[in-house]
Amino acid sequence: MPHGSPRFVHGKILHNSGSGIFYRMEVAIPERIDFVPGQFAMVSGWPGNDPLLPRPLAIFRSGGVRGKGTVEFVYKVVGRGTALLSGLHAGDPLALTLPLGHGFEFPGEDRSWWLVGGGVGFSSVFPAAVALEGERADFEIFLGARSRDQLPPGEWIPGGAVPGRVHLCTDDGTAGFFGTAAAALRDRIDRRRSAGPSRVSILACGPREMLKAVAELALPLDIRVQVSLESSMACGFGVCWGCVTAIRDGEKSGYRRICKEGPVFDAREVVW
Amino acid sequence: MTHSVTPDLSARVGSVLLKNPVMSASGTFGYGLEFMPFYDISRLGAVIVKGLSLLPTPGNPPGRIVETPAGMLNAIGLQNIGVERFVNEVAPRLDDAGAVYVANVYGRTIEEYEAVARRLSDLPGLAAIEVNASCPNVKEGGIAFGSSPGGLSGLTRRVRAATEKPLWVKLSPNVSDIGAIARAAEEAGADAVTLINTIVGMAVDPRTRRPMLSNVTGGLSGPAVKPVALRMVWEACKAVKIPVVGIGGIQSPGDALEFLLVGAAAVQVGTANFRNPNACVEIVDGIREFFVREKIFRLDDYRGTLLLRE
Ligand SMILES: Cc1cc2nc3c(=O)[nH]c(=O)nc-3n(C[C@H](O)[C@H](O)[C@H](O)COP(=O)(O)OP(=O)(O)OC[C@H]3O[C@@H](n4cnc5c(N)ncnc54)[C@H](O)[C@@H]3O)c2cc1C
Ligand SMILES: Cc1cc2nc3c(=O)[nH]c(=O)nc-3n(C[C@H](O)[C@H](O)[C@H](O)COP(=O)(O)O)c2cc1C
Ligand code: FES
Repeated sequence: MPHGSPRFVHGKILHNSGSGIFYRMEVAIPERIDFVPGQFAMVSGWPGNDPLLPRPLAIFRSGGVRGKGTVEFVYKVVGRGTALLSGLHAGDPLALTLPLGHGFEFPGEDRSWWLVGGGVGFSSVFPAAVALEGERADFEIFLGARSRDQLPPGEWIPGGAVPGRVHLCTDDGTAGFFGTAAAALRDRIDRRRSAGPSRVSILACGPREMLKAVAELALPLDIRVQVSLESSMACGFGVCWGCVTAIRDGEKSGYRRICKEGPVFDAREVVW
Repeated sequence: MTHSVTPDLSARVGSVLLKNPVMSASGTFGYGLEFMPFYDISRLGAVIVKGLSLLPTPGNPPGRIVETPAGMLNAIGLQNIGVERFVNEVAPRLDDAGAVYVANVYGRTIEEYEAVARRLSDLPGLAAIEVNASCPNVKEGGIAFGSSPGGLSGLTRRVRAATEKPLWVKLSPNVSDIGAIARAAEEAGADAVTLINTIVGMAVDPRTRRPMLSNVTGGLSGPAVKPVALRMVWEACKAVKIPVVGIGGIQSPGDALEFLLVGAAAVQVGTANFRNPNACVEIVDGIREFFVREKIFRLDDYRGTLLLRE
């Protein structure tokens, strides 16, 4: 099997527990998989046909030794599928198709990285931070949530120990910056301009309005922005054409599959 | 030691010989190549590719899919790469993969159906053409032809005359008398009928007061439609002499066996591929295991053997 091509596997839950509103689930799978931050899995773990379709979850971490693999997810309970997932226990079986989609790209010429995560969007952004940490690249994280209790636990945040690296933002001001992650980013952009130019690139995942706001802030300044989009998905590997978004591609525009050509797109191409 | 004979699963749909009765359903299997990371697609009876139109079609705006209890609604609107790119880029790769493949075709006008069928007729590897006379998600064509015996018969006759390839006609369940529709296809020269396509349905959001699909209505598929599909396939089998291919909610070997039991010559598996990319091959293996267990040596000994009376 070529490196990184998707596979369908039966896994077994190693642990699955909640921390505030987020659940973290680690699953043993038959073999170790490599993934690019931003790639995801289609996950179904409940018996019966309702819900029928698997749910997309970003791959938070993967590991494994001696041919055996593990994969980890962070998710928020929003509806039936994620509620059923949250009720599963260590030892329960889980079916997964992974790794899927195109993740973030890390062009070599960029010197610093701003990672923007809204809500559970941090689950795509944190693996990118881990990768950048491994490359000793310079990055800052902007995490937005409605209120303090909707932020991920501090110990999950990569690079959190480095001062000035993590900017927490809450809509109600209960923690960190009073306002959205996009507003905090605007402040940062203003400060950068006074500090002189350096190549910077933005990676963002979160609600569509947030991604749009980030793109509108950064694109006019020639900052490269990659956004990870969401949509409901049936297959997750490009065969149902259910997950499309409108994309501008030079002169042409048309619908592209978020699961296959995305979920990460160059923000310049997205028709918001 | 017991010695078990490998059962003969080969199936015949008119002149098309399949190594087993399990095919992928159009629109749920992409162009087939997408499944090659998961398994060798030549293990399937046949691959039915996504519906092709003359020119590339953009499809409907999102949202295109909604989940419903044990099913899903889709309003993809037949987004596809067009017949030309299929012929040049996809078909050679399906040939290389050793797959038996069938093209599902769609047009906005009868002339467009004819043109697509003609273009496909040059493909040596193409096993058959499946005419989609039943897509509920596009305004023109599709269901407009498939919902009355007269409309279907006109379409079938014209496409029949346009190609030498075996012609399968895919029927809509959104009709009151499936037997009459199936007979219309048979009399107009179809080599087989395939059914069912999706059932027109709808989903709305009580809070936003909006339809969940941009197209307002969509096509229902998945296990929720299986009892309706099974009944319709059974009725079609009684109505025509040409082979009937059963589709609708098949997820397991048992589901497939039910369709074969009521008389289907073969089956197609659709929505199940989304939940489990290996669904089709697991169904092939499961049918084989069932035959071994039940000491059935040939598919033909099982097909259409439903017992109606004591
Ligand atoms: C590529 C990708 C990666 C993702 N990664 C993660 C992740 O790492 N962690 C995580 O918690 N979530 C992630 N999501 C979102 C997650 O898939 C949805 O929250 C989940 O499918 C909801 O399923 P459910 O059955 O619980 O809710 P449902 O009952 O299906 O829906 C509940 C409510 O949520 C809305 N909803 C459902 N799915 C989405 C969606 N994709 N986008 C916006 N609204 C939606 C519905 O409209 C409804 O209002 C990801 C989505 C995508 C496309
Ligand atoms: C997303 C999707 C796309 C489909 N596209 C087509 C198509 O292009 N042509 C066609 O004849 N049927 C199409 N169908 C119908 C299926 O081939 C099949 O008839 C139907 O889904 C019922 O089978 P199932 O319950 O196993 O899915 C589509 C179905 C789905 C779910
Ligand atoms: S979810 Fe099926 S094509 Fe993207």
